[in-house]
Amino acid sequence: MNTNKYVGRIGIGEVIAWIVLILVLLFTITPIIFMFVASFMDAKQILAMPFKWIPSRSYFTTENRTFFTNFYHAIVGNNNNNIFIRNIINSLIVAITCSATTVLLASLCGYGLAKFNFKSRNFVFMSIMATMMIPFEAIMIPLYMVASNLHMMNTYQGLIVPFLVSAFGVFQMRQYLLTFPTEYLDAARVDGYGEFKIFHHIVLPNCTPVIATLGILSFRNQWDNLLWPLLVSQSETMKTIPLYITKFSEEKQTDEGAMMACALIASIPMFILFGALSKYFIGGAEVYESRKG
Amino acid sequence: MAAVAMTVPSAVFAKAKKVTIEFWTHEDANRQKLEDRYIKEFEAKNPNVQVNVTRQAAEKLIELIQTSFAAGKGPTMFNLSINDEYPYIAAGRVAPMNYKAAGYKNAGDVINAYAPKMLDPVTVKGKVYGLPLELTNWCIFVNKKVFRDAGLDPAKDLPKTWEDMVAVSKKIVKRDGNIITRRGYDFRYKYYLENNVPMVEQLGGKIVSDDGKEAIVGKDAWIKFLTFMQKWGPNGDNLGSPTYAHARSLFNKDNNDIAMCSTGLYQEARIKHDNPSFYDSGEWMVIPYPKFADAKQDVAACYYGHYYMVNADASKAEQEASWALIRYMLNHGEEYLKEVGLVQPTTALLNSKTFKDMPYSSVFANDLKRGHIVYYGANTTAIQNALGTAIEGVMLQNKTPEEAYTELKKTVQELISE
Amino acid sequence: MPKKIKKYSIEQKQARWGFAFTVPCLVFFAVFSFYPIFNALVTSFTSRQAIARTSKFIGLQNYIYLFTKDNGGFSLLNSMRATVIFTFGTFVPMVVISLFLAVLLMQLRRPSQKGFFQIAFYMPAVLSSVVAASIWMILFDPRGLVNQITNTVFFTSGQDFKWLTSNVMLQFSTMIVYFWKYIGYFVILFITGLSAIPPSIYEAATVDGSNKWHTFWHITLPLLKPTIVLVSIMAMLQCLKTFSTQYMFVQNGAARQPIDVITMNIYYTGIRNGKLGRASAMSIILFIIMLIFTWLQFKVSKTDDVEY
Repeated sequence: MNTNKYVGRIGIGEVIAWIVLILVLLFTITPIIFMFVASFMDAKQILAMPFKWIPSRSYFTTENRTFFTNFYHAIVGNNNNNIFIRNIINSLIVAITCSATTVLLASLCGYGLAKFNFKSRNFVFMSIMATMMIPFEAIMIPLYMVASNLHMMNTYQGLIVPFLVSAFGVFQMRQYLLTFPTEYLDAARVDGYGEFKIFHHIVLPNCTPVIATLGILSFRNQWDNLLWPLLVSQSETMKTIPLYITKFSEEKQTDEGAMMACALIASIPMFILFGALSKYFIGGAEVYESRKG
Repeated sequence: MAAVAMTVPSAVFAKAKKVTIEFWTHEDANRQKLEDRYIKEFEAKNPNVQVNVTRQAAEKLIELIQTSFAAGKGPTMFNLSINDEYPYIAAGRVAPMNYKAAGYKNAGDVINAYAPKMLDPVTVKGKVYGLPLELTNWCIFVNKKVFRDAGLDPAKDLPKTWEDMVAVSKKIVKRDGNIITRRGYDFRYKYYLENNVPMVEQLGGKIVSDDGKEAIVGKDAWIKFLTFMQKWGPNGDNLGSPTYAHARSLFNKDNNDIAMCSTGLYQEARIKHDNPSFYDSGEWMVIPYPKFADAKQDVAACYYGHYYMVNADASKAEQEASWALIRYMLNHGEEYLKEVGLVQPTTALLNSKTFKDMPYSSVFANDLKRGHIVYYGANTTAIQNALGTAIEGVMLQNKTPEEAYTELKKTVQELISE
Repeated sequence: MPKKIKKYSIEQKQARWGFAFTVPCLVFFAVFSFYPIFNALVTSFTSRQAIARTSKFIGLQNYIYLFTKDNGGFSLLNSMRATVIFTFGTFVPMVVISLFLAVLLMQLRRPSQKGFFQIAFYMPAVLSSVVAASIWMILFDPRGLVNQITNTVFFTSGQDFKWLTSNVMLQFSTMIVYFWKYIGYFVILFITGLSAIPPSIYEAATVDGSNKWHTFWHITLPLLKPTIVLVSIMAMLQCLKTFSTQYMFVQNGAARQPIDVITMNIYYTGIRNGKLGRASAMSIILFIIMLIFTWLQFKVSKTDDVEY
């Protein structure tokens, strides 16, 4: 919803606004375009001075490379073991599972905190919020020991379980549900619906925007997780994408082209997800509109 | 072939119960091929033993092994560089060798099989705690083509002193403004204990005094060294810097962007693997570690070793099987040398024809004699970091050598008195 | 009387249900958050090391050590400096500029344009930190794009602005990467906040003769206050917890000292050097710092909320 609608003349203010926005746009987009373009180039071209945005054709023929050489190197890996595909699958499994469990558990908890009155409510809420202040590095080692004692080392459970739900998720759900009209809930109760059924059939279906947003954010956070898999995934087959990229960059440090190809491949799932569900990212209007009436 | 045959008959294990060995090691594409083969053969000869290998990047391996020991779940056997491994011996986390399982009669027998002093770092109170996978020292690899391209003669103009190194690098370096596009030599940053401390020792300084009480001995030597590094970097002659790609990673590609790097004999196998035409062309060579013109002593780059060690918390059966596996793998010394370029410091191997036939092995052997083992102790990682701070401080930030020296001395003194 | 009893028992039942709904999460947080931080607290009072078999209780010695000694050249005080500089150097511009951009976006004529920019600004956040760091490491290379662009903008040539080498520039570079990554996210948050203000307010203001600037300062900004406070706190906490950006830079060869943020120091001291007791003490200190800053922010923003 636009708050200030101009009709007709374009004022100087608007021009300046556009210029600023376009500059910032260039700032955010250029590195991504760089990654895309560089994944087709070799190291010499990437660090050429001056940088040419379009890979020159000539070197393709002279150096025995094809358009996709970098991608081939990226996927095949340093030991020709094609482990990258497995790592991508691992990341997907972990991210999707954590995303699903986060949405489920956070909505349960947020609902309880938002729509029910019990004595310890504020205490519970504050305690959960306090965990947001615990940096992961602080609990890394005790967590490692917990996971180790539960025999979760080098397994999917080990990667997933410590991230079943996030405090941030609880916060988001609670905030959203605070504004959920209680009349509907009371009406359902009067009609004799059980609490769980109310949650399942009335609350959840009406939370789609925040569920989608939370789901995507959780997915993204797990996709990005570097430290924990570093400790837990000991064998090659259990590693996730960030680990693969770090390892790849350590070894092929001077093959920047393959690095960028690797980075690009690793980003594709996120781009797809983002592209398909972008409206759940774009804040404001839609969420506001859907809550009216 | 192997000088000492494997003396443990496989019948010893025939009635033993099932044993699993968790073997953690660092990655090396060439070594992996050999290891996987030996492990298969060993498992076939000992059907009750299962070996699970986990490979990690060398840097990560140090952290992962430490973390797993902290959680009480360390691997059954592993190998690390001695300066990272020594704390495990000191803390009693690794087991003394089971001589019989490893195919030796007793400690003396083991020590004699290896070149003098090679097992000293892992021998405590007469017990031997590890067997070397490799002993490595670094010499200078030279790309002859780059020399010629810079108008130098790869036979006559080879640098013998550090002053030569500066002069030669100045001729080879190409820049775009301040930005270096081709380097002559560049240091092996992050490995200061191995590659830079000898420079200080050449000038008469030491990292720790002989009685272990004083750190960073020899103020003049250290300041001279730090000044040299400062001049090398972007604040001085701008011949190199830790922020450019590792020299050793670029060397194999033969892209006319680096002329010399410090690395070990194993690099030859890697050049062959990465760039066979470069390897075969003979356009590379190896020269000894340079010495300052006014050096007080002649010291080459330090050598470091990787030793196989066994977890002290593993069961007796697991330990026995581990030592047997270690011995089985190490028996193939000449293959390790030929295929991977790893030098096992056994007397047999160092005198073998295979070793003598490897290109430039005499350079490495001589530098081995000129050098000594890298510093190892309880806080080696932290000391390595402290050296890094000092050297990078004068090179990249604006610290003066005096400031860096004072800070370094304070830091390392604290570390060794912990 | 019967009515009252019924009401009481319904409330009680409701309370129990409410609590029950929170139980799964509570169990999870108990095992994976409360227990570990408690464990870290206990460890911080011991001399625990990774490889040593035994450790003993040493009281506050770890804490005293951290505030007085060097920690192998990476002292806690240096880390605190690095963290504070990074946090304030990043979150303040981030909050201010994202608010500014959000306001600009609200000026656009068509919602589709607004949506386009939001998507474009948000894209960096979609990439994983490892990917972002690897891209920027190449961009910041002395031969890379950033130097080239800066040279063009400042009409110099061949000058190395030392993005990764100089002390100051290295810190600045990490801030740039972090800013780049999260600016879009905060723009979206502000747009949400701005969109929640009913247009009737603006109409009323215009009818009352207020010009745009006046409207912004005296109406929009106060109404936006809760969002601003929320966004500020989130941004600040996230910056205090930063790790991947600095870690990736150091892994790729940058110097550690200038950007040795507390989280990274904890990691290196604990996992690299094996000094678990000391690392735990550092973690507790960081936790306390975060609590203090959050409380401070709440205090500063504690003026009457504007109602409408």
